Amino acid sequence: MAIGRTIRDDFDWPLFIAVSTIALFGVLNLYSATEGGTTSDAYVQQLYWLILGFSVATLTVAIDYRHFERYGWLIYGGCVLALVLVFVLGRSVRGSTRWIALGGFSLQPSELMKIGLIIALAKYLHHDTKTGGRTLVDLIIPGLILALPMGLVLLQPDLGTAMVLAFIFASIMMLTQLKMRSVVTLLATFVVAAPVTWFYLLKDYQKERITAFWDRLGGTQTDLLDSGWHTHQSLVAIGSGGLTGKGFTQGTQTRFRFLPDQHTDFPFPVWAEEHGFLGAVLLISLYLFLVLWSLRIASQAKDRFGAVVAVGVGAMIFWQTVVNLGMVSGLLPVVGMTLPLFSYGGSSLLSTMLGLGLLMNVSMRRFLH
Amino acid sequence: MITLSQRREVGEFRKRYRWMALFVVLVFGGIIVRVAQVQLFQQDRWSGIAQQNITKTLELPATRGVIRDITGRVVASNRPSYDVYTTPRLLRPEDLDRIASLMALSKEEQAAFRARLDEIPLGRRSHQLELFSDIDREQLAALETHLAELPALDIVTVPLRHYPYATLGAHLIGYLNEVNAEDMKRADDPSVYRSGDRIGRNGLEKRYEPLLKGSRGFRRLVVDARGKALEGTRPDSLEVEMLKKPVPGHDIQLTIDMRLMEAFDRAFRPYPSGSAVVVDIHTGAVRALYSKPVYDPNEMSGGLSNKRYAELTGDPFRPLIDKTMYETYFPGSTFKAFTALAALEDAVVDPSQRVECLGSLKIGRQKFRCNKRHDWVDLYESVVQSCNVYFWALAEEVGLERINRYAEAFGFAEHTGIGVNSEAKGFLATREWYEEHYGRFRIGYTLNTAIGQGNTRVTVLQLALAYAAIANGGSLYAPQVVQNIRSPDGSLSETFQPRIRREVGVAPQHLDLMRRALIDVVQDESGTAYKARNKDGVAVAGKTGTAQVVSRKGRSEESSSAWYLDRSHGWFAGFAPAGDPQVAFAVLVEHGGSGGASAAPIATSVMQQYLTELESPEAQ
Repeated sequence: MAIGRTIRDDFDWPLFIAVSTIALFGVLNLYSATEGGTTSDAYVQQLYWLILGFSVATLTVAIDYRHFERYGWLIYGGCVLALVLVFVLGRSVRGSTRWIALGGFSLQPSELMKIGLIIALAKYLHHDTKTGGRTLVDLIIPGLILALPMGLVLLQPDLGTAMVLAFIFASIMMLTQLKMRSVVTLLATFVVAAPVTWFYLLKDYQKERITAFWDRLGGTQTDLLDSGWHTHQSLVAIGSGGLTGKGFTQGTQTRFRFLPDQHTDFPFPVWAEEHGFLGAVLLISLYLFLVLWSLRIASQAKDRFGAVVAVGVGAMIFWQTVVNLGMVSGLLPVVGMTLPLFSYGGSSLLSTMLGLGLLMNVSMRRFLH
Repeated sequence: MITLSQRREVGEFRKRYRWMALFVVLVFGGIIVRVAQVQLFQQDRWSGIAQQNITKTLELPATRGVIRDITGRVVASNRPSYDVYTTPRLLRPEDLDRIASLMALSKEEQAAFRARLDEIPLGRRSHQLELFSDIDREQLAALETHLAELPALDIVTVPLRHYPYATLGAHLIGYLNEVNAEDMKRADDPSVYRSGDRIGRNGLEKRYEPLLKGSRGFRRLVVDARGKALEGTRPDSLEVEMLKKPVPGHDIQLTIDMRLMEAFDRAFRPYPSGSAVVVDIHTGAVRALYSKPVYDPNEMSGGLSNKRYAELTGDPFRPLIDKTMYETYFPGSTFKAFTALAALEDAVVDPSQRVECLGSLKIGRQKFRCNKRHDWVDLYESVVQSCNVYFWALAEEVGLERINRYAEAFGFAEHTGIGVNSEAKGFLATREWYEEHYGRFRIGYTLNTAIGQGNTRVTVLQLALAYAAIANGGSLYAPQVVQNIRSPDGSLSETFQPRIRREVGVAPQHLDLMRRALIDVVQDESGTAYKARNKDGVAVAGKTGTAQVVSRKGRSEESSSAWYLDRSHGWFAGFAPAGDPQVAFAVLVEHGGSGGASAAPIATSVMQQYLTELESPEAQ
């Protein structure tokens, strides 16, 4: 492969710096969030995961992404198989089965599935030569590619990841033209599906969170002790940070354990409390840059596979970030959703790094013919 | 590779990238706006909650000032009461059962306790709230043993008001009960009173509430989300005071002598109701304000049941009424001293001129009865023997207007200015008043007024002060019940100087004549209180009186007690020791009949004890 020749010229430094900065902030934040607690060594583990993540990304970059295209279905199939294995070997945490024990580590196949889905969709679209407007019939195959893993993830159940899969799918499909009639039909289906989901698919605790969210939006906050409590304490943390924050390791909401899942789903409030509005804007801007940069990479990709992969990875980061930030700032209901690169968690970090490796790959090979 | 055609396709996506980028920017922009709203515009609110989150405020109640009598005996103090407080936010559902079983609550109590917790609004869930007050020793022991497992609970030792003398002097001392919404509204600073606090409701407890109360303090603890106190941790962002020591209330020393009160209580044992006042003639300091019967202030503090309240209000001897100053009575013959002084001072009669008493007097068609046939008596003798006929004759000469004028000078029909509780003014009827109420004025009204019947009404306190003025040479003092007030550090913060309301305007020789006559009421064989004298003991001077009771016909009391309630009140007012007066007194025995037989023995025996057996207050 000709990567050696181009590493200096074509290496995507902005991408690398943005990713490293976020990851570094994440480790610092994790240190602060867990300091003095029972999981105070979490940041060391996170560092190990980061090293592993960067290694995986480097490996991913080294292989020409067209090989991923070639083995697309295999990768997709492997991910689906892993999802099935969850039900066989899985370990149950808080009423949902998401993890497979792998040596000393736990792996979350649903995280890897995001990458699997992106590659599968990219491969499908790469070979689909149609250029005009698409109808619903054209969505059947990609739809099935989504439905299989999404169904498995919903069975775990893991609403958050299922949503991300759906969002990635929708974003990629937005790239291709869809006929107006089809859009209308899709919307109608959604309107029908929503109540069905509510009554038959959602668990009670999930419904409770959504209800609490609407109550809060409507100003009829009734139940601070249960679902609304998480968001309330999150807002207290963010809000009390003010412009400049309380200082590193000085966040009281964090130190005195008022934030729920503060190192997995709620790391942003920790950050915002300690570094204030300035810190918050800096972090959000890094994510904004990352997403816009992935769109730029997509637009410069030399083929459709690369473009779709870039858009898919960008969408993955975008939606997870938006849902997580929306959730912790009280704009969206509380669903389990990590903040990519920033949250504690090996599988999440690994899949993100894998995705970013692909992105870098596409970016570096944009001029290769 | 078929890259050329693919490049073209990718190029077709380009328009979409722009829309996507715009969408991404808008969404992130929205999030930044939201974060700005929360962090920049709502910062104060969230910071407040963040500080509240990590602090737990423990109230440090102030010790209410102690009230002592002139000799230092405690009449109102504090005993520890163990109260249980909770921070509702920290209560776990399983704690409720635990608490109920440790407290050994009954089913009803449990239900009430749960209902109360359910009612707490969200905004108050981080604030401490009183759950139980004054728990007993067993409950205390049970809770304390398991306190470590119940971080939501705190046991606070609160001083509770206690009145060692119970009923004695209760009207004057007063009592406390829980503040109501109006009290809280009335307070200048809304933080002074909080729900569950107690406030002085009556007597000195009410009069000196702001001084007695003191001010509460608090201690703040830094706690984590589970309510566990973190010693020695204080985040920089915590900008609140962590400790404010409570300031105890001021202590009050009364002029009252509780031994004197006890002596009256013993002397009054044969009678169900009555009243007595003793004042220092040189200062107006009140040594005793005795009213019988009285409620127990310890009971009032706890909140009365409706049944108990009905008992108190329905009692024919009216325990809720302070008979020393809130009730008025006909003064009876005790008033003759003032009629006589009016006559002497305005020189309308020659005191040595005699009048013949045949046991009654006929004026027009009306026949007025005297207590016996006194034959020829002069002014002096008629005071000693309480001859009505002489005073009727005198009344015709003196006239209603003069009698009222001197009565007013001696402080009747006006507030004494004691400054505690409500006092009645009493009443002196004028000629105009009679014309208005009875159509026309008759001389009979003047005759009745001269001997203290008519429509003249006085309080026991007024009478004691008026006799003090006779004893001290004509100075009418404002009564004082508080000797001094001390700050919590023990230093005097206020002392009360004697205050003379006025000189009564009667010449010394006339007052001297009256004093001699009052001495002979007790000391002379012919005196109406001769039988009550202290043989070989303290010589007491005074005037007896027997006040008719307004007929209670039409009242619905059972006949067994009605006969008693229609009996006259017995009076004795005077001073002691006779030769060198120190104190003046007025004693009223409700329905005691003749004053010489009921009130006078009480007065002389109590004076005997007070001036000999009890140590003098100055010795303390």
